[in-house]
Amino acid sequence: MKKNDAMFILGIESSCDETAAGVLEVSRGKFTVRSNIVHSQLAIHRRTGGVVPEVAARAHVEWIIPVITKALQQAGTTLNKIDRIAITRGPGLVTSLLVGVETARTLALAKNIPLVGTNHLFGHMVVNQLPPNRPLTARGFPALCLVVSGGHTELILLRSWQRWQKLGATLDDAAGECFDKTAKLASLSYPGGPAIAKLAIDGNPAAITFPRPMLNKPGYNFSFSGLKTAVRYHLRDHGIPNGKAMNDLCASIQQTIIDVLVGKTIRAAKRYNVKTILLGGGVSANRALREQLAAAVTALPQTNFIAPNLNYCTDNSMLAAVAGYYTPVRANGWRGVRVDPNLSL
Amino acid sequence: MIVRTTTKRQTLALGKKLAQRLRGGEALYLSGDLGDGKTTFVKGLAAGLNIRTSMTSPTFVIFKPYPVRHHKAITTFVHADLYRLAKATAIADTGLTEYFGQPNVVTVIEWADRLPLPIRPTWPIWRINLRTGKNPNHRTITITGLPRKRK
Repeated sequence: MKKNDAMFILGIESSCDETAAGVLEVSRGKFTVRSNIVHSQLAIHRRTGGVVPEVAARAHVEWIIPVITKALQQAGTTLNKIDRIAITRGPGLVTSLLVGVETARTLALAKNIPLVGTNHLFGHMVVNQLPPNRPLTARGFPALCLVVSGGHTELILLRSWQRWQKLGATLDDAAGECFDKTAKLASLSYPGGPAIAKLAIDGNPAAITFPRPMLNKPGYNFSFSGLKTAVRYHLRDHGIPNGKAMNDLCASIQQTIIDVLVGKTIRAAKRYNVKTILLGGGVSANRALREQLAAAVTALPQTNFIAPNLNYCTDNSMLAAVAGYYTPVRANGWRGVRVDPNLSL
Repeated sequence: MIVRTTTKRQTLALGKKLAQRLRGGEALYLSGDLGDGKTTFVKGLAAGLNIRTSMTSPTFVIFKPYPVRHHKAITTFVHADLYRLAKATAIADTGLTEYFGQPNVVTVIEWADRLPLPIRPTWPIWRINLRTGKNPNHRTITITGLPRKRK
């Protein structure tokens, strides 16, 4: 049952290869996820070794209405009781984004529901506010957020949920892309991040020393394309390893990426005296990254660490829904919500 | 034209120099393996067109358009990467092909061998292949389809 003072937000996300919809209840500043339906095309992509964009776009058309219907059913509600629709309007693949945005605009117009267009990256920044975590209060700011995914690696300083500043970002490849591409070089399966993380568990992270790009340079930018090249030449000279040597290779690659991410994040946290460090993006599901960043934060007595619940790390409807709660609704309603594949923070 | 470069800086400089020969409407097809310096070369081209925005890998979103200012013919530089396209089918669905042949656009495509080519494209094509030698810093860059230098 919906309480009188509760707000229901329908979140829709179709920025890359997942088609997702879900209902978020916000009551007295408390979040409850009523439903979170994700249709993933990972099975197709495993066969082909990567996301196939044109397949992704077509599948969005096919799945978006069934996914929204199921999300409303599972939440025990109907469109008539939805107070706000939140739709990811960028960044992402233009053809995939269009399917979600045009569907959301149509629903908003037909049912006269306020529509808010959200930023996919902001979604990754705020989705860690969902249970079991507690939403940040004003005392949690300034906060620092590390967003790491297949398309992004960014460090963002937040003064509040409405006011933020990008401190740095990758200059070339994203961290998740580096996992995927090095995994491909080592003939591992897609997606590369989980494949490397699994093999890394039984490996020695100090077995091979790869260069830590940018770690000792000032500023908060990242660079991962050099690591990809270093792995390529290591494999050319030593061959693709088997058994324990493969575990060592994966552990070493993973440790290199983590060292750079953690090193830069902690340095920024000290410089800006942040109260909270937030983690977001698909790579935040990596257990070694979560553990090592958490451990590094314990050295900062004034700082708390918040990582998203594992259910919300990869792309899902709550990215749009929670971002839609913190993003003000604009007066021109559905007319003003447009796709922007290059949307930045 | 075959050029050998021995540093990243030289690869950048080559891209920058060749950008001076762009007139708008060209498609540049890049081939080479992961880590062969394709993105570095593209950064050089962009620098040659005075694009100041930092260019990051377009692998995830397939292509990124950048505005070109202060050029008499070119207004848009599109950096595409077909790495994630496992099969070269219906690339039109990504919207990339809409840029082809536009006289004010230069389209640079990494992993262009995955592109289904029309038999007689109506736009000029430069083909650029990058290969790394035994020394990881050495590149052999082969370019075909370049227009003659203007006198």
